[in-house]
Amino acid sequence: MSDIIRRDPRAERIARNRLHPLHATVQRSETSWMGPNGIIRKNPHAVGFIGPNGTKRIDRSGAQQGGTAKRSTQAAAVQLPLHTVAAPSFYIVVVPDLVGGRLTTHDRDLLGLAHKLAGHQGAVLAVVFGEHKESSFDTAGVDRLLHLDGALYSGYAPEQQVQALTAIERQFRPRHWLLPDSRTGGGELGRRLAAQLGERPATRVWQVTDEHCIGRAGAGQQDLQRPLARVILAASECAEPVSESRHEALAVSLDTEVARCLPRIEDLGAVAVDPAATPMAEAEFILSGGNGVRDWDLFHRTAVALGATEGASRVAVDDGHMARNRQVGATGTWVTARVYLAVGISGAIQHLQGIGACDKVVAVNLDAGCDMIKRADLSVIGDSAAILAALIERMAAHRAGGNRDAA
Amino acid sequence: MLNTLLPILLFAALLLAVIGAGKRFFMWRRGRAAQVDWLGGLLAMPKRYMVDLHHVVARDKYIANTHVATAGGFVLAAVLAIVVHGFGMHNRILGVALLGACALMFVGALFVAKRRLKPPSRLSKGPWMRLPKSLLMFSASFFIATLPVAGILPADFGGWILALVLAIGVAWGVSELFFGMTWGGPMKHAFAGALHLAWHRRAERFGGGRSTGLKALDLSNPNAPLGVEKPTDFTWNQLLGFDACVQCGKCEAACPAFAAGQPLNPKKLIQDMVVGLAGGTDAKFAGSPYPGKPVGEHSGGPHQPIVNGLVDADTLWSCTTCRACVEECPMMIEHVDAIVDMRRHLTLEKGATPNKGAEVLDNLIATDNPGGFNPGGRLNWAADLNLTLLSDKKNCDVLFWVGDGAFDMRNQRTLRAFVNVLKAANVDFAVLGLEERDSGDVARRLGDEATFQSLAKRNIATLGKYSFKRIVSCDPHSFHVLKNEYGALGGNYEVLHHSTFIAELIAAGKLNLGQHKGGSVTYHDPCYLGRYNGEYEAPRDVLRALGIEVKEMQRSGFRSRCCGGGGGAPITDIPGKQRIPDMRMVDIKETGAELVAVGCPQCTAMLEGVVEPRPQIKDIAELVADVLLEAPAAVAVKRVVEEVQ
Amino acid sequence: MQPKPLNVLCLVSIGAHPTSGRARRAEQDARAVELGLRLAGEQVQVLHAGNAEEEALRAYLGMGLSELSVLQQPDGADALPVLFDYLKDSGAQLVLTGSQAETGEGSGMLPYLLAEQLGWPLVVGLAEVEKVENGVAQVLQALPRGQRRRLQVRLPFLASVDNAAPVARQSAFGPARRGTLWTDEVHVLDDDLLSNASFQPARPRPKRLKVIKAKTGAERMKAATAKAAGGGGQVLKDVSAQEGAEAIFKLLLEEGVIR
Repeated sequence: MSDIIRRDPRAERIARNRLHPLHATVQRSETSWMGPNGIIRKNPHAVGFIGPNGTKRIDRSGAQQGGTAKRSTQAAAVQLPLHTVAAPSFYIVVVPDLVGGRLTTHDRDLLGLAHKLAGHQGAVLAVVFGEHKESSFDTAGVDRLLHLDGALYSGYAPEQQVQALTAIERQFRPRHWLLPDSRTGGGELGRRLAAQLGERPATRVWQVTDEHCIGRAGAGQQDLQRPLARVILAASECAEPVSESRHEALAVSLDTEVARCLPRIEDLGAVAVDPAATPMAEAEFILSGGNGVRDWDLFHRTAVALGATEGASRVAVDDGHMARNRQVGATGTWVTARVYLAVGISGAIQHLQGIGACDKVVAVNLDAGCDMIKRADLSVIGDSAAILAALIERMAAHRAGGNRDAA
Repeated sequence: MLNTLLPILLFAALLLAVIGAGKRFFMWRRGRAAQVDWLGGLLAMPKRYMVDLHHVVARDKYIANTHVATAGGFVLAAVLAIVVHGFGMHNRILGVALLGACALMFVGALFVAKRRLKPPSRLSKGPWMRLPKSLLMFSASFFIATLPVAGILPADFGGWILALVLAIGVAWGVSELFFGMTWGGPMKHAFAGALHLAWHRRAERFGGGRSTGLKALDLSNPNAPLGVEKPTDFTWNQLLGFDACVQCGKCEAACPAFAAGQPLNPKKLIQDMVVGLAGGTDAKFAGSPYPGKPVGEHSGGPHQPIVNGLVDADTLWSCTTCRACVEECPMMIEHVDAIVDMRRHLTLEKGATPNKGAEVLDNLIATDNPGGFNPGGRLNWAADLNLTLLSDKKNCDVLFWVGDGAFDMRNQRTLRAFVNVLKAANVDFAVLGLEERDSGDVARRLGDEATFQSLAKRNIATLGKYSFKRIVSCDPHSFHVLKNEYGALGGNYEVLHHSTFIAELIAAGKLNLGQHKGGSVTYHDPCYLGRYNGEYEAPRDVLRALGIEVKEMQRSGFRSRCCGGGGGAPITDIPGKQRIPDMRMVDIKETGAELVAVGCPQCTAMLEGVVEPRPQIKDIAELVADVLLEAPAAVAVKRVVEEVQ
Repeated sequence: MQPKPLNVLCLVSIGAHPTSGRARRAEQDARAVELGLRLAGEQVQVLHAGNAEEEALRAYLGMGLSELSVLQQPDGADALPVLFDYLKDSGAQLVLTGSQAETGEGSGMLPYLLAEQLGWPLVVGLAEVEKVENGVAQVLQALPRGQRRRLQVRLPFLASVDNAAPVARQSAFGPARRGTLWTDEVHVLDDDLLSNASFQPARPRPKRLKVIKAKTGAERMKAATAKAAGGGGQVLKDVSAQEGAEAIFKLLLEEGVIR
């Protein structure tokens, strides 16, 4: 949208006509402005909006702005300033995981860290293997993009990828290599690269200060502080992602062809696994059923639809609806899921102990007074069967929508 | 003719009995050595039989009287018959006495027969159905055969036909009652039972004593077997004890695991050990099988591994070590010892503790608590209570042994309540704090003697550093282990359960208590407090002091049913048809009580695990703390407790 | 099935319990031994570079091994060269390790460096060996969220296992006491890591706050008030099942657990 201010005669007309049905929407929205002698002035009368039954409402949460919201939201979509590095004096190379072809939050954190290290002189070079669906390399903070595509890099080919990275090492002489220390590929690739380059990497790094980096050591009981290493395998949330600038994402290429290495490991493809068989302690999304679940068949179908790992309360296990190894709680498995969806579980103290490490707890229950509701971040009071069925439907709609996106 | 036939029959049977006895004796002696008082035991045997065993049997008046008549009559009749008919001392007085004995035995046998008309399911059938007939035959035959001796009938009355009939009758009688006794018939119980009483593994149990602590394993000798793999790994007097079983099934009727449909039947287990002792299959077993496991599919021998031959592992892991079977057993057989012995082999040699067992044991090794919690958090529950550490104070009257309940949020309420009580009574107490470790109870019941001894020795070393008069614990399991099982490793303490201690405080007038205001109350006896340590009264005294009239359950006191939480049973978690705590809750609901008082963190956890609606569950310490009439200063503390709750 | 059992060698280390920090068998290494026992039975060789006096080593023996070889080294020595020397002549066809040590640096580099030096392929996250035929193994590799990938790799190779491998069997006291620890004295090379790096107790990492990039006070206000509403736990009462499901769905989507 252009920044030129234009007169809108129609809006002015409506603004003058207090009986016009749209009159309220075109009222001046400013509630404060710089006064003539530099003091901020406020107009308390301009705050708020006229509610549906004619009384004036002030909503301080900002959630509802009445008719005046339109204009300000349009103004919010501003172009971020472009950060350019014309002639980089050094490179910071980032190899993002690109799970599902898109930058993960972990990747974005890493790019944020790369920018911290690159400053104004250096350029952040992202190396992307195979096809991708990402369109926001610019806002994620990629100055230079090296895209290596082709059959060589499809599937699981860590050895070939390392070969390519060594070629990059020769051509760009990066000051730092940054890889996500993740199980989705970065951790492995980074270590392979480090072994190949003969560099001692700093692993599980979660904080980088000027000359030092701190990473978890051992089984997480200790931190290891050391001088900044050349190869850094960083944990997620190692830095804030880039959010206030746009970057060039200029495509670069390798001068030389990457040597083809003889694959010693052959990828025979993914193996279908039963999501229900995922170990509970490992699962990041658990759908857990308790005494309040009546229709276990529906419960299982919901788990399949959501792709969730199934869990159960002790009572559900005792009653024989679920296997014993699915029991969550102090006497069962202590789970660490990001999202724990508890259906019909009232929340015995042992159970709440077992889900203590879960990030988000969602409860579906008939009894609004039960302990699980007190623990939950989101609770829906109602019949679990109806809600699960609605959830399956919603999920199906989402999947259909998602497919359209991909097509 | 009868005069020549009877001595032959009698002495032949006696000879066979002696040969059988020798054989049986050497069969037992294949077991490992055990320290017994050979002569003293034999001398003490009659008293043990008449007093201790009779106490157990006399709980069932019918069978006690029947047995007195039958067994008393038989012993008398047998002795007199040998004198009169064996040695031919046809004395009239002896004859009359023999007649009397036979008549007594006959009457007793009639009652035995009556019981067998419609036997309860706990009784074994098979050869045991034959026994009353044999008893009747023996007594009747000798009665008639003795009539001439007593001068009631002429010497040659009835001629050779009667003589033949009597000879057959006597032959039947003596073969069942004399050599059947040592050759494995139902009467084996009399022979093995008598010797079992003489050379019992826990002689301290007789004369009103109590011996419930498990026996320590010698870990210093690398060649000593770790637990029991094959029948011959039992000590010989354990094998003898198995042979003493009368298959009355009192254990089966009391066993919570059996009632819950878990694959355990203590009677069958003991009989399987008898099968293992002699070799063969369990096909001849004529009682209730292990729930869910048909009879006849298992076999074994004295030198073959027991588990997965004779007995399946889940049978052993079903036991809650509640000791109800031992308490009920009229032959004073030690079922729990046998089960733990076999578990020891599975855990220490095979590494086959089922389900969460391995994890719990690993946690005990690495963190000194079964939950794997950071040992540094052991005192977190009392962060605001300002407890005195024994390491600061070095000596105190009462050492409060907190136990692993310190990590359990529910149990922390009990602990805090008890601390309130201690403070209200101005008791000079302290805790070990971070120096405390798990008592080793769970490890030991799961068969991990090594971990138990390691924990116990470190605890004993810690306790040795300080001086205190007594230990008080809210956990009957810790209480039992500290009191009864640390002794063998060199730790002898005066240990009290908190209910006993509170009862003492109340009796001494140190607590200013109000009256309980809630509804009606029943009391659940924890196994490790009641049956293991005989403390039935103190908790009831405390409740009475609160103005509570306990609505007793049918199964209370020494017959209390286990909550299912002992012996690592919740950890090994063997599936059954129903859950033990659910059954116990039915018992509780039958009383109509609105609240059940407990004295054990395990019982609390198991009973609270029953789906609501159900009566409320509260520890005795909580009930007492609720009605403390406190000095104003202490009120603040209580408010904090309530907030935490 | 297999004519000749695979020559499997497991590298094990001393672990530390996650809450107490006490020495124990390392979780992942124990899983490697478990995998080795399943593949080669009692013929599996187990090797440790470090202190042979450490009692926790016996926990590996307790899994049913008759012996365990130790390359005697002090703490802080570099295990890589001695392991390389041992492995290159060991005739092992499959070397299994955990992915990461529980003590010390725990960078997880060892399998990579060993594979690099030996010139062997490395399979990361081995979950199962399906079959071995004609010197080629077909294996399953564990991916996040319980997924599996099938790989084919030529023997000899190195593989690291993580928590997706089968759970290690219980360590029993009897075999642990009976097993033998063979000790080899080896040349000690110091690791130079600690010359410029230092260990410190792990600092808890703060949870990332929702970043509020608000230019105006109203936006900040909005963000702040919205957070306060969410923190206490939102309770949806008297809503239709569809609305409830929608709210749950939105949260799942936000948390990124739906793919």
